[in-house]
Amino acid sequence: MKLLVCVTKTPETTAKIAFTANGTAFDTNGVQYIMNPYDEWYALVRALELKEAQGGSVCLINVGSPSNDTVIRKGLAIGADEAVRINAEPKSSLYVAKQIANYAKSEGFDIVFAGKESIDYNGSEVSAMIAELLDVPFISYASHMELEGNVATVSRDIEGGTEVVEVATPFVISAAKGLAEQRIPNMRGIMMAKRKPLKVVEPIAADDLTEAVGYELPPAKSAVKLIDPENMDELVRLLSEEAKVI
Amino acid sequence: MAEYMSMNTLRFIIHEMLQVEKLCALPRYQDYDKESFDILLDSTKAYADKALFPVFKEMDEQPARFENGKVIVHPSVGQIMKDSGERGAIGSTFDYEVGGLQLPHVLHSAVTHIAQSANNSLPGYTGLTGGAANLIISFGEQSLIEKFVPKMMKGEWAGTMCLTEPQAGSSLSDITTAASPNDDGSYQIKGQKIFISGGDHEYSENFVHLVLARVDGAPLGTKGISLFVVPKFRIKEDETLEPNDVITAGDFQKMGQKGYCTTHLVFGENDNCQGWLVGTKNKGLKHMFQMMNGARIDVGLTAVSTATAAYHASLQYAKERPQGRRVESGGVKNASEEQTPIINHPDVRRMLLLQKSITEGAIALLLQASLYQDMSEAGPEEDRVRYHDLLELLTPIAKTYPSEMGRVSISNGVQVLGGYGFCTDFPLEQYYRDIRIMALYEGTTGIQSLDLLGRKVIMKNGEAMKHLTKEIIETITNAANYDDLKPYAEELKNASKQLQEVIMHLVQYAMKGEHERFIADATVFMDFMSTITIAWQWLKMATVAKTALITGNTTFETSFYENKIHTMRFFFKYELPKIHGLKVTLMRPESLTILEQDQSILA
Ligand SMILES: Cc1cc2nc3c(=O)[nH]c(=O)nc-3n(C[C@H](O)[C@H](O)[C@H](O)COP(=O)(O)OP(=O)(O)OC[C@H]3O[C@@H](n4cnc5c(N)ncnc54)[C@H](O)[C@@H]3O)c2cc1C
Repeated sequence: MKLLVCVTKTPETTAKIAFTANGTAFDTNGVQYIMNPYDEWYALVRALELKEAQGGSVCLINVGSPSNDTVIRKGLAIGADEAVRINAEPKSSLYVAKQIANYAKSEGFDIVFAGKESIDYNGSEVSAMIAELLDVPFISYASHMELEGNVATVSRDIEGGTEVVEVATPFVISAAKGLAEQRIPNMRGIMMAKRKPLKVVEPIAADDLTEAVGYELPPAKSAVKLIDPENMDELVRLLSEEAKVI
Repeated sequence: MAEYMSMNTLRFIIHEMLQVEKLCALPRYQDYDKESFDILLDSTKAYADKALFPVFKEMDEQPARFENGKVIVHPSVGQIMKDSGERGAIGSTFDYEVGGLQLPHVLHSAVTHIAQSANNSLPGYTGLTGGAANLIISFGEQSLIEKFVPKMMKGEWAGTMCLTEPQAGSSLSDITTAASPNDDGSYQIKGQKIFISGGDHEYSENFVHLVLARVDGAPLGTKGISLFVVPKFRIKEDETLEPNDVITAGDFQKMGQKGYCTTHLVFGENDNCQGWLVGTKNKGLKHMFQMMNGARIDVGLTAVSTATAAYHASLQYAKERPQGRRVESGGVKNASEEQTPIINHPDVRRMLLLQKSITEGAIALLLQASLYQDMSEAGPEEDRVRYHDLLELLTPIAKTYPSEMGRVSISNGVQVLGGYGFCTDFPLEQYYRDIRIMALYEGTTGIQSLDLLGRKVIMKNGEAMKHLTKEIIETITNAANYDDLKPYAEELKNASKQLQEVIMHLVQYAMKGEHERFIADATVFMDFMSTITIAWQWLKMATVAKTALITGNTTFETSFYENKIHTMRFFFKYELPKIHGLKVTLMRPESLTILEQDQSILA
């Protein structure tokens, strides 16, 4: 079984988010990065579990600059066998999807995994686009998955319940919480990661159909207000007039 | 989840200040690179978040205890032993040949800092196991290594260090545990050991005790002490285990670190306790010092980590607690204004900066010392002795400064929380209780100070001191390249001169044969010298930060580097000047503590 796992990097959750160039670009100054948790904790680990149960190989793929290698190496330390980095700025979801789909097509994978979204842009777009470009089924927000032969039974969290679908390989799946449990790389894994292949591939020409014209921060959260426990009237007034929740 | 340490500060010290990446050029560490270090630090933090920090308070509330002849500890003890074995964390610094990963000590210390900040009751169990295994590897026969070490490194068997006896704590020369030779080359062990950390519980299949004892007829004093490996269960021919007459008599109930059991062990009560000699007969204390030196660095790390976690808890509180109003120009307060978060009051800020300057300065020193250890073991042949001397000299300071000043730091953390600092709803009171032990075990502050002044400062005719002075001068020279750091460089230069003066003054007593006088104020000297040592670390950090700002070669936000320089200035304004008062005490000829009169002066 050949498994491909799409991984991306995102700012550490405590990073201060700011924009430059008149609000058109993310300010990377001083930002520390991590592997997108949905990719790392769920997509990658489920792929590893399948490999461990059924044999095969797990390959990581990332579109980005050499500075992404640390994040990729972490995936190798967790247990992936090899990795590919497409050496290009990830300009937009479509651009990234085209690069990955092109590589996936040339290599032929049974299942392509991705996280349900990246925790920075929260687009949930790339995996769907890859499926479309590969012309294979796409299952999003998977929280459980079993594989029998080449048929997967996948549970998806939907509003108020769960949907169970069956799908035959090849397909693309996006991982939500529950699909697997976070694995923390052990020291031997970390050392071995350095010796695993990390192939760098040049990008193909691909159109970019969207352009970010501006970013804005959400309004700052207002400070906590402490109210005297005796003063219920004030609490009711604030909840109704300021918070507008009652 | 609450912040309990700063990964960015750790990364800054590791990569930018100490440039540990350079170690990877040494043959021993060639399998590592910067990325592997980063992944290691991040995954340790992930593990600490998941497995260590969440049970920190619980372990205090459900202390280790002795019930029906058994030591009961929190189930996390079993989990961390198992996980650490699987993760390769026990013995990670050992050679490849014995199953280690040849991890640099400085990285091991960084990892320990993360874990200890998350929960200071847990990592000791694995740390002792690694230390005990290392002792067997270093001095034990091959058969002992094969018998014990693999299971210890897997976390299946635990290790301990058994030195203390009821009548022999600081004074190890007085231990009486006896070892009588058997015909098969093993020894019968008989005696009692108290205060043995991690000495017994249900989560390890076997306990491998490293015991100091006296072989029958051995000379009195430290020259008659030998080291033995004494397992709780002996290994039979068929590899099954049988009891080895090691009885647990109790678990000490303590004011802090309650999750870390402290046992009373009785060896050979039924004359059926077998031990095997490790290393050379009568050289046991010397061998044990290898483990003790490592453990001293570990205690320093535990202390600074506990204080670091307390700092972050008090910082968070200070940001959120509204109380009072700022005094504006003209000395007025506007009562109609909302209350300001207490972080805005200068006095609270002072308490926070004090904590930051003590804890970050101490982490820098501990990591610096660990780097010296790496260089002393794997650096260029011609430099090894120098680095070893530096490590030897700095070890008592690296153990004591965080233990003593970490407590002051946490006390300020408690103060930041006001009355809540005293209450169990917040973790500050626990940190305050937990850190108290650090100045006691692994050699009390008094004993460390004797070691520093009475042994290390004068060792090899002051050779180690010369090396340290050279390091300090290098830092001063680098700092003096920047105009705004020049005054601080000058101050450190002056402090370093005063250090020499005080040493010269005290050494005169030794030269006159007044040895008790020489060491009488060793603890005051420790305070004096360690303050200067931390100032050195701060000037080094500030210079690195300044260079990053000027060259634009920054990994973190600009404000991060500015904060480092600011904290250095704080340390130089609020802490370093204390040395002048301490110097007065150290130089004053009056002798008031030496037993010239009888004890009635204390009546
Ligand atoms: C929680 C805990 C865990 C421990 N874990 C271990 C362990 O795992 N293994 C182990 O072997 N031991 C362990 N110990 C023992 C610990 O190392 C000793 O308690 C410590 O060395 C001090 O010995 P003591 O308690 O007998 O105090 P004492 O030696 O009686 O000291 C009392 C006071 O006298 C001072 N003093 C003593 N001698 C001198 C001197 N010559 N000059 C100046 N001052 C002096 C000391 O500094 C101290 O202030 C542990 C202790 C505790 C409390």
